[in-house]
Amino acid sequence: MVKPKAKVDEEQCLSCGGCVSVCPKDAISLKNLRAYVDKEKCISCEICVNTCPIGAINMEAVD
Amino acid sequence: MTYDVVVVGAGPAGSVTARFAQEKGAKVLMIDRRAEIGIPVLCGEGISQRIDKWGMLEGTNWIASTMDGAKIYAPDGTMVTLSKEMAGNETGYVVHRDLFDKELARQAGKAGVDIQLRTEALALLKDKNGKICGVKARTYDEEFEIPADIVVGADGVESRIGKWAGINTTLKPDDLETCIQYTLSNIDYHSDYAEFYLGKKIAPGGYVWIFPKEEGVFNIGIGILASLSKPGKPKQLLDAFIKSRPEFKNATCLRILAGAAPVAKPVETVKDNLVLVGDAARHVDSITGGGLTTALEGGKLAGDTISDCVKNQTFDKESLSVYETLWKQAFGQKLLRDYLVKDIMLGFDDKTLNMLADSLKDYKFDEFSTLSLVKALVLKHPTLLVKLKPLMRLSEKVK
Ligand SMILES: Cc1cc2nc3c(=O)[nH]c(=O)nc-3n(C[C@H](O)[C@H](O)[C@H](O)COP(=O)(O)OP(=O)(O)OC[C@H]3O[C@@H](n4cnc5c(N)ncnc54)[C@H](O)[C@@H]3O)c2cc1C
Ligand code: SF4
Ligand code: SF4
Repeated sequence: MVKPKAKVDEEQCLSCGGCVSVCPKDAISLKNLRAYVDKEKCISCEICVNTCPIGAINMEAVD
Repeated sequence: MTYDVVVVGAGPAGSVTARFAQEKGAKVLMIDRRAEIGIPVLCGEGISQRIDKWGMLEGTNWIASTMDGAKIYAPDGTMVTLSKEMAGNETGYVVHRDLFDKELARQAGKAGVDIQLRTEALALLKDKNGKICGVKARTYDEEFEIPADIVVGADGVESRIGKWAGINTTLKPDDLETCIQYTLSNIDYHSDYAEFYLGKKIAPGGYVWIFPKEEGVFNIGIGILASLSKPGKPKQLLDAFIKSRPEFKNATCLRILAGAAPVAKPVETVKDNLVLVGDAARHVDSITGGGLTTALEGGKLAGDTISDCVKNQTFDKESLSVYETLWKQAFGQKLLRDYLVKDIMLGFDDKTLNMLADSLKDYKFDEFSTLSLVKALVLKHPTLLVKLKPLMRLSEKVK
């Protein structure tokens, strides 16, 4: 089974870039003022989840 | 049109770098993925009036208010004041960061810099020898290449340009303040001071700030260390702080922003023909999280160095490293000292903070700066000297 990957709630994200700056795999980018996770690159470390000041990132199962 | 230099990011660091490079003869293109310079604002908007001396901004539309000093509150409410009377006349402004950034970009444009918005850097271009030769960018749906002899990463806290060049800019969670701020209006409270509130319960590894922006309008925000945070914790703590203060009861919120402030040691700022400035270079004071003055100061040094390299057609690490030498002379020691202080402060519990504040509450500071605070602490608490010793030596050099 594949581990859950980080997923940004686009409705909530305020594009502060915090998650981008801590991601060890350069898996997150800001597109049109919303953070976006490249699932292929994500190693499920959850650092971004704990960094987001408004709790806009969750781990989500992928199939 | 071909360019000598491409600057990625039109924040303060990018605009100032671009301006001074272009003014002295380089041809510069500055790109930003944003549709409007300065928007969204991601900042507390406080800045030292020291910037007046540098004359980089014209007009006054970017100034929202002036501040007479700072009040720092320990967890038990003990207050330490750094004020105008004690510190000469140089204190602070609260700025409109959107207008501040636009004025700096306008100055860059006036110098001849081309600016292209809605244009995102996607990758670095490399020639067949692996040498950086520009950036790959996207504007709307179109991808294209921007060849340049020098690339400047002014891309803020994310600092991916540096990462793509092989500089380790990834922040550890204990080197990042994760923040949220409200701009609140209709507040029945007057203050001419920047207020800072410390305490493990109030803001672990950081502080709450209240900056007076206009009459009855305040920026009130929080930054906590990401390593001590949980999803959404900054917001919960700030909401709790505001609730505990009766003067904010009838406030109307005009703006919410999230933010990320690096409180890290500066990184390597020159790699071959690539240069990092501002937040991307981690040129931020680790005690306050403030990075605007160093973005301007460092940006000018980078711009000057780059224009010399373009004049001499030398696009290598050695020539560009003049910039690194210059910023280290200008503020490198200070950044390092404040990084060490951040670490030491992290070890203080609330009782120690109360005790320190109590011992400084009547102290007359000779200067409005973090250095004068640190000096006072060292002077008053020789028992803490053991821990502060490496930093003392640095402070001496800093003066
Ligand atoms: C909540 C908060 C409060 C703060 N309060 C203060 C304060 O009161 N005083 C103070 O001095 N400092 C403060 N700071 C720090 C200050 O905001 C920064 O130091 C400052 O913005 C740094 O300027 P910069 O030009 O380096 O980066 P930024 O202003 O972040 O600019 C970077 C620019 O690069 C662009 N960009 C990024 N990646 C790309 C790409 N791939 N392609 C194209 N464009 C790109 C972005 O859109 C952005 O416009 C605060 C920070 C936070 C988070
Ligand atoms: S979980 Fe880790 S690897 Fe995945 S996006 Fe978040 S920080 Fe990056
Ligand atoms: S940390 Fe949260 S608010 Fe900030 S860019 Fe990432 S998802 Fe958005």
